[in-house]
Amino acid sequence: MKLRLSPQTLLVLDAFLEQAEEWKYGYDLSRVTGLKSGTLYPILMRLAERKLLETEWETSEPGKPPRHMYRFTPEGLRIARAHVRAHADSRLGQVALGLVQVGQVQG
Amino acid sequence: MAAPRKLAARLLKAVVRLAPRESREWASAMLHELDFIGGDWAALFWALGSTAAIVRHAASVGLAWLKRKTREELTMDNMGKKVKGVGLGAISALMLVGCAFAVLRISGILFPGLDLEHAEWTRWLAVIVIPEAIFVAAAVILWRKKGPVAAGILTTALMVGLHVAVHLAMR
Repeated sequence: MKLRLSPQTLLVLDAFLEQAEEWKYGYDLSRVTGLKSGTLYPILMRLAERKLLETEWETSEPGKPPRHMYRFTPEGLRIARAHVRAHADSRLGQVALGLVQVGQVQG
Repeated sequence: MAAPRKLAARLLKAVVRLAPRESREWASAMLHELDFIGGDWAALFWALGSTAAIVRHAASVGLAWLKRKTREELTMDNMGKKVKGVGLGAISALMLVGCAFAVLRISGILFPGLDLEHAEWTRWLAVIVIPEAIFVAAAVILWRKKGPVAAGILTTALMVGLHVAVHLAMR
């Protein structure tokens, strides 16, 4: 499955990969990633539409409002790990290339 | 409750009420998160961002629906054109067969002495050989540009041919 990996999407994937089995809340994700709700929710919606995220309403205690929670599906977890790894590899490759070029200039 | 938070809650409640079915759960999720946001202004900015997200989502859902609908209508339109083409071909072919019969009858009236109407060979020629040759020629010519019309003509040609074959067999 092809995912549009914007820097913001990568931030969200990273946030979900931290303790991936745990449910996460929208506002908490917003704080962790530093993304505003207008940026965060379209990403969550897209991931959920592609069945990479599962969503659930928290069964709340009386007097406490229910919250919408999000967690990777097994498929989502697999794809997110692969994408984040591929992205990290390409970043590493770019850094290595940069170092080689710097070395050539200095040499 | 401070004014910005009150405004945020009102805005998101309105969004939940007005959002299309596909976006409503998300709007509701954004509204419920409001209670966990510390600052009043942060709550208002949260509501504004959420509203923008829901508007975009609703627009994309609407656009997808419109695209699907347009595609369906185009397909229906194409299907309608094909059916019309086949019908036109069949009607043209039947009219030709009718004309062939009429010519045969008229020739019988105009030249009673030749007895063309009852001669076997004239019947074969006028009702079968010439019309079928015209059908095949027309179908070949029309096949590329007006495929459905050609299909209609060929179908009728086949039906007429079968009819004649059955007629001959019965005799």
